[in-house]
Amino acid sequence: MSDTGNGSADDGPTDQFTQPDRDRGPTVEFYGGRGMSAFPIAFFIVWAIVQTALWRIGDTGGLIVGILIGLIVGMFFVRGNWQSYANTIFEGMTQPVAVTAIVAWIWAGMFAQLLQDGGFVGGLVWLADTAGIGAALFPAITFVLAAVFTTGIGTGYGATVAFVGLFFPAGVLLGANPVLLFGAILSGAIFGDNLAPVSDTTIVSAVTQDADIGGVVASRFKYVIVAAVIAFVGYVAAGSAMSGLEISAEAQAIFLESSEAIGLVHVISMLAVIGAAIAGRHIVEAISWGIVLAVVFNLAFGLTTLGDIVMFNAPPDAPLSEPLASLPILTVVEEPSAIGVTGSLMTGVAGFLELSILVLLIIGAAQIMIRGGAFEALLEWSIDNLATNVRNAELTMVGSAALINAIITINTAAEVAIGPYISKIGERFNLNGYRRANILDGQTAALGYIFPWSGGVLAGYSAMQELPGNYEWLDQSMLVTPIDVVPFVFQGWLLVAVFVVAALTGFGREYVIDRQSEEVARV
Amino acid sequence: MSLFSKYLKGWRLRANRPTLEPGSEIDVFVAETNGTSGRAYIGDTELIVNGAGPETVEKQVRVRVTDFDETTATGQGELLEVVGESSYSG
Repeated sequence: MSDTGNGSADDGPTDQFTQPDRDRGPTVEFYGGRGMSAFPIAFFIVWAIVQTALWRIGDTGGLIVGILIGLIVGMFFVRGNWQSYANTIFEGMTQPVAVTAIVAWIWAGMFAQLLQDGGFVGGLVWLADTAGIGAALFPAITFVLAAVFTTGIGTGYGATVAFVGLFFPAGVLLGANPVLLFGAILSGAIFGDNLAPVSDTTIVSAVTQDADIGGVVASRFKYVIVAAVIAFVGYVAAGSAMSGLEISAEAQAIFLESSEAIGLVHVISMLAVIGAAIAGRHIVEAISWGIVLAVVFNLAFGLTTLGDIVMFNAPPDAPLSEPLASLPILTVVEEPSAIGVTGSLMTGVAGFLELSILVLLIIGAAQIMIRGGAFEALLEWSIDNLATNVRNAELTMVGSAALINAIITINTAAEVAIGPYISKIGERFNLNGYRRANILDGQTAALGYIFPWSGGVLAGYSAMQELPGNYEWLDQSMLVTPIDVVPFVFQGWLLVAVFVVAALTGFGREYVIDRQSEEVARV
Repeated sequence: MSLFSKYLKGWRLRANRPTLEPGSEIDVFVAETNGTSGRAYIGDTELIVNGAGPETVEKQVRVRVTDFDETTATGQGELLEVVGESSYSG
């Protein structure tokens, strides 16, 4: 590319072109070099593959132990003061992106549980049954609805949690293939995460590439829609080809009989969330409005009682338990193991507590890799050796964004980390901000929902763990382990493929001389 | 540009080596320098920017294109001014 400078522009001393030295030393040094700072993350990935793929144990608690051991062992490779290592873990864990993901999970978890307990799944089943939507079409329709919902609310994690809680059981009961259903939900989340103007990944991709959000969304539409059309056809075809589970006819009949149209009142709850998000409200506020409406509908239509939403189960010897036992939110229990707080809100939150801790630890380990220099070494190497012309540069951008998303499992955090490097490679070839932002976010949105240890897949899997307790006919064997869904996240794979083809052919490529991105509207 | 036309922008295959128009003024990022001249890549097209020293590397500069050879996709230009910073913050 540049440094050989063998006289293609024939005038002047072009063989002496160089870049000013910008060496920045790592802040945590390791025995064995910068690469050793990747040890905690690498250890965790190996642990996650062995645990979830080879031994099929989808226990989030086990993954926490994996990352903890990785962090502890990694500390022994630190050269000099160990305190900087510990401080770097804290620095990573306190990043806003990690907390944003946790907030989205917890709020969406409460919201989805309220809708579930309010009969929304029954309403969906009733609607699908009445409209004659069979098992074959259900995954494709789920994909479209999840895409619309995510585009509206902007958080793919939240949408995944809500749709696994609501559409997954409805689809399984109707005879749709569970793996395909989970894949369709993740695909819808990818579509929305990638395209929604209010999505955090959309915003990060625009801001890190100095591009305006409206222009970024408009310019990425072509990639997203090409992938989505093919994905939709894929879900229709696969829906016909892949059979569902054998749910006993009796259980199916009982559920269908109890499925009532009234549960569909929660469509309004969902629309309220979408409406508030589109109106520019913070995602916490938007989902909170949905929660408030869901509670009102559940109580007003008699779908649940107040005690179903939140219930204090207190021991008889507590000072005020007996006198206030008549309250609808208080139950006096004799059995010590029954003491606690239950109800939709608690169940909705509980599924994500372990995952939240895991994510914080992963982000902490990723920060070790960044501060220790392995991250930079990897990217500098790819810039120097792979990005030798514009086509290879774009493929390098695709590949490095994909790789970092495989390592940092919360996709927004991965995007924040890789964003400056995408800008460095892209600006070298004068690719404009839109093109750079689109390549960056395409991989980030897609791969954050493909790898079995990625935040989107783990969030969906955690939400799924709660389902057997909610439906008698649904047992643990019907759930989808993260590794199984990997090939069926059609939108994700297709989006990556679209960008590879776009890099090879120049489809959608824009240089800064073609069009410059407008001012960033900072959010 | 209207919102609708923004959605239609870019539905084409763009060349690896875009052509430059002599006499035109363009804003480009300078990739590297030899101290007195800089080199910018627009895709695989190379543009020597006379007068672009180390202070312009990884900055966006306005250049008047003075010469362009389509067969080799190389050209020359004169530095007019520095117009922007890189979004790369390292």
